[in-house]
Amino acid sequence: MNRIFAIALNTFREAMRDKLLYAILIFACLLILSAWGIGQLSMHEELRITKDVGLGGISVFGVILAIFAGVNLVYKEIERKTLYAFIPKPIHRWQFVLGKYLGLVLTLTAQVALMSVVLWITMAVQGWSPDGVMVRAVLLLYVQVLLVTAIAVFFSTFSTPYLSGLFTAGIFIIGRSTPDLRALILARFKDSPSTASALNWAIQVLPDLHLFFVSGGLVNGVPASIHAGSYVSWAYVAGATGYGLGYSACVLALAIFLFSRRDFV
Amino acid sequence: MADPVITVVDLRKTFAFGFLRRKVQAVRGLTFDVRPGEIFGFVGPNGAGKTTTIKMLMGLIFPTAGTCMLLGKRVPDLGAKRRVGFLPETPYFYEHLTGRELVDFAGRLFDLPASVRRPRTEKLLDLVGLTGAASLPLRKYSKGMLQRLGLAQALINDPEVVVLDEPMSGLDPIGRKEIRDLIGSLRSEGKTVFFSSHILSDVELLCDRCAIIVRGEIRDVGPLAQLLSPKLLHTEVVLDRAGAPEERRLTPGEDVDAFLRAAIDGGAKVVSVTPRKEHLEDLFVREVEADQARQ
Repeated sequence: MNRIFAIALNTFREAMRDKLLYAILIFACLLILSAWGIGQLSMHEELRITKDVGLGGISVFGVILAIFAGVNLVYKEIERKTLYAFIPKPIHRWQFVLGKYLGLVLTLTAQVALMSVVLWITMAVQGWSPDGVMVRAVLLLYVQVLLVTAIAVFFSTFSTPYLSGLFTAGIFIIGRSTPDLRALILARFKDSPSTASALNWAIQVLPDLHLFFVSGGLVNGVPASIHAGSYVSWAYVAGATGYGLGYSACVLALAIFLFSRRDFV
Repeated sequence: MADPVITVVDLRKTFAFGFLRRKVQAVRGLTFDVRPGEIFGFVGPNGAGKTTTIKMLMGLIFPTAGTCMLLGKRVPDLGAKRRVGFLPETPYFYEHLTGRELVDFAGRLFDLPASVRRPRTEKLLDLVGLTGAASLPLRKYSKGMLQRLGLAQALINDPEVVVLDEPMSGLDPIGRKEIRDLIGSLRSEGKTVFFSSHILSDVELLCDRCAIIVRGEIRDVGPLAQLLSPKLLHTEVVLDRAGAPEERRLTPGEDVDAFLRAAIDGGAKVVSVTPRKEHLEDLFVREVEADQARQ
């Protein structure tokens, strides 16, 4: 456990000294702050706009940070040969991948927390009083970030950052559109149930990221909104978190399997 | 005789490259062992398979066939890894870390408590002459400094066996001497050192035994005294004839005394007389040429 922690801490330290990540983070915080200015242009909807822009910003920039850092995580170690000195130390390869992932999770936790604090301060200035709805919304986005990170790390064990980034972004886009894709399949392949079930199965295998950004949509046929007081319950958040963490664990297990069989030539 | 600390038996590695998976045999059935307390040199030209063999020993790549054992355990055994230190070829480290953080990080991977890790880090940084640069980020380190830092991190666990891949590469003569002295001091501490190099003078100065590897095969293995021919190759004589230097090589059959007497009688001054026996370089060149002749 100590060794995993040492690798995680080192990864965290490395990420926190990366100027590019800071640049993205500062940009994200500026966008969230700008929601306050955009809100001023609306008619008594300042808080609503701040919430929408702020959560959208955390979602998009959280995922960008996760992809950017995740696709480089293992690839960079192999490419720069930094792991040559450390794999021969008394660690298992799975400990190395897990440590790297946890270090990145630590980094992204700090970054999502910072973006959330900026959003909450912006909303507090506009008269918002803290409630569980925003905590649940941010928690769901955070789990989404962890899942996307696991996917990016998985690709980084065998592919270049450019391709890994493309694959991860593709999975993110598909994952966020699962209800639309299911409806599309249902409509297009009405006469071909075997094709429809094959496509549905494929969607089933990919992560359902729509679970984590529910405001404005339907959850079990009921509209969910962060504005109208009809947001998802804690039980829903717990279920979605379980799904997200379980999916991440499976993807990480695959990443570890591939990494454990690799030759570091 | 004590059990060997490194045992390699019929070790093979074949890489598959490209879309058509073209196969290249990098290591072809190596067998050798390294005994406790000795300095063992692993010598070969570029592309001979030295680094591939070391990577298999260190668990970085998997053998296609054969076995390699460290301290009696099959690689990669965690218990054996705990007792081994490793310096990779041209080491690359995390640029954001300082020298001190890097050695400390290596110590953490051995699960060393801070009370052991910290003083040992300082001692090793001092040993490799990096105390003054310990707080600098590694991106500011020169190649030679990185090499020395690599050695420090390899010794953080006070290993019984030290494996060094090209430890002298990229170092200036002073740096090379420092590393040579350090390897010598490891021997006096009773550690076993296995190192690869193509700088033959270093190998000759340091090694108790060595193996010569050419195109993935061991050509010779044993104590240098046994590998090198004790026969006189030739005698080099340098003369000074009225300010003009002249060099002559006398074959073993020629009478050196008679030659020198004639030269002195002819007005020449004798600058030097050097009997040349076989060096590791001669043996190495002989093996490589024999290999080329076989192709």
